[in-house]
Amino acid sequence: MTTAVASVTAAEARAPRLALSRAELLKLRRRRGLVALLAAMTVLPMVIGFTVTSILHASNPVKHPSAGGIENFAGSMEMLGVLVSIAAVLVGVTAGAGDLGAGVFRTLVVTGRSRLRLFAARIPGGLALVLPFVALGFAVAAVASTALAGSEPQPDVGFVARMAAWIALQAAVAFAIGLGAGSLFGSRGMSIGVVLGWMLAVEPLLAAISVLGSLRIGLLGAALQRLTPTSPLVEDGGPSIAMSAGAAATVVALWAIVPLAVGAWRTATRDA
Amino acid sequence: MSIEYVVETAGLTKRFGERVAVDDVDLRIPRGSAFGYLGPNGAGKTTLIRMLLGLTDASAGRMRLLGRPVPAQREEALARVGAIVEEPRFHGHLTGRENLEIVAAARGRQAHGRIDGALRRVGLAERANDRVKGYSLGMRQRLGVAQSLLADPELLILDEPTNGLDPAGIREFRHMIRGFVDEGRTVLLSSHLLDEVEKICDAVAIVDLGRVVAQGPIDAIAAGGTSGIVVGSGEPERALSVVSGHAAVCSAEHLADGLRLTLRSDVERDKAGADINRRLVEAGIPVHRFEPVTTSLEQRFLEITSRLEAA
Repeated sequence: MTTAVASVTAAEARAPRLALSRAELLKLRRRRGLVALLAAMTVLPMVIGFTVTSILHASNPVKHPSAGGIENFAGSMEMLGVLVSIAAVLVGVTAGAGDLGAGVFRTLVVTGRSRLRLFAARIPGGLALVLPFVALGFAVAAVASTALAGSEPQPDVGFVARMAAWIALQAAVAFAIGLGAGSLFGSRGMSIGVVLGWMLAVEPLLAAISVLGSLRIGLLGAALQRLTPTSPLVEDGGPSIAMSAGAAATVVALWAIVPLAVGAWRTATRDA
Repeated sequence: MSIEYVVETAGLTKRFGERVAVDDVDLRIPRGSAFGYLGPNGAGKTTLIRMLLGLTDASAGRMRLLGRPVPAQREEALARVGAIVEEPRFHGHLTGRENLEIVAAARGRQAHGRIDGALRRVGLAERANDRVKGYSLGMRQRLGVAQSLLADPELLILDEPTNGLDPAGIREFRHMIRGFVDEGRTVLLSSHLLDEVEKICDAVAIVDLGRVVAQGPIDAIAAGGTSGIVVGSGEPERALSVVSGHAAVCSAEHLADGLRLTLRSDVERDKAGADINRRLVEAGIPVHRFEPVTTSLEQRFLEITSRLEAA
């Protein structure tokens, strides 16, 4: 082999990171079922929710208040937060376990590409699918809440921006948990069962057991609740588990970082 | 710098608990050849390939791929290696072209430019935009080769590539592999099919129970086995009485139209054959065929492995 060929080879070995992330996005966005589910859990509920309440308001304005306004916006965000988390887990798990399930992980490892880079590419690739749907669902809610406010107070720009960040945060953390679990278990079914079982059944149960006291600040749901944006115009019952904003931010960060670290470790060490 | 061997291993070993899957393998694969890695199922062929490609760690020993130590310089070494390990697998929901785009993204910028050429080369250009879940096994195998070609490989590693192919597909595959060798690439073909290796490869390593028991050019390995002569005669009993006492003949068996003689391994076949022929003629025995028997790789393989079983 000549020196010239060797240098070409070395240059070729450096694949652009963007290309790897784009490839991850391609794998995800071509899964029609997953994309339909994502739309059904982000955009569709907002469209249906505001359409139904608008019709109800139009048919009987005395009995049914305006579909928009800040109260309805806050309520829709609560629902969107839950749905977005579930959708993001599904995408994260698919990104983490997809190559393994299809037997393609081995093919990618054989290219010589670092396993950690293969794993890292899944993060922007997956988020590039999740976040636009989240943004669209959010935009529907924000626009409808403003346009259909009628005599109700409208959400101000600051509150909308804080809500957007909070929803995006929930989506990103749920995606990270799904990705970590998918990469760890290598199986979509098992990963979805474990993560959603924890999020939807075990965690709420633990949060409700008051004898656990301050131990519950480690729960993701409690930390996210503590970080929920508030507005003087919305009744706020306050967080059910007391903790500082700093502690909540740390808990949320750990819930994102630890699953990613575990997923990266497993991707780097598993037999392909 | 030109390297003589594209794959070199020394003392390569893989253990799974107490079981040794690859046992102290020293392997040298010359550049520009089709090299068969031949052994029965469970002999450790795939495990060795998986170690070479960094899919699993070695328990002991050293490896070099394209002159680079692996795993220390794995990324650089694999940049010019294409491989199919066991059956090629793809994302069924993506098209053939999209699957290649995924691999090209991991390979680097230049690999993208090779997608069309690779699809044409394996005859899949027309079906490139169909989803892979609708592909036949043969098409998947060809797509696997196309995927390997994205690296513009100096070394192609193909693990049991003809598994599940029909005779026409096998023949097509054989031509394709020889074509790669003619272009100066090296092909490492792992197989349990002796006939396939014999038809495609220039050199071979025979592996059994995780150990390489013989390696070298196919002719040289086959020549290391027993040699024989087929004597076609209408009077086989008389012929047998003449040759049975010959010092070079180790055994003789009846055929439908004569005898098959097995010669002792320490004699020179041509010389012994000439002497046996002379004696038959002098004894007035009609001989209509006198044919040296070349030991096939299959016979040699069976000799080696049966010797191992007896040991």
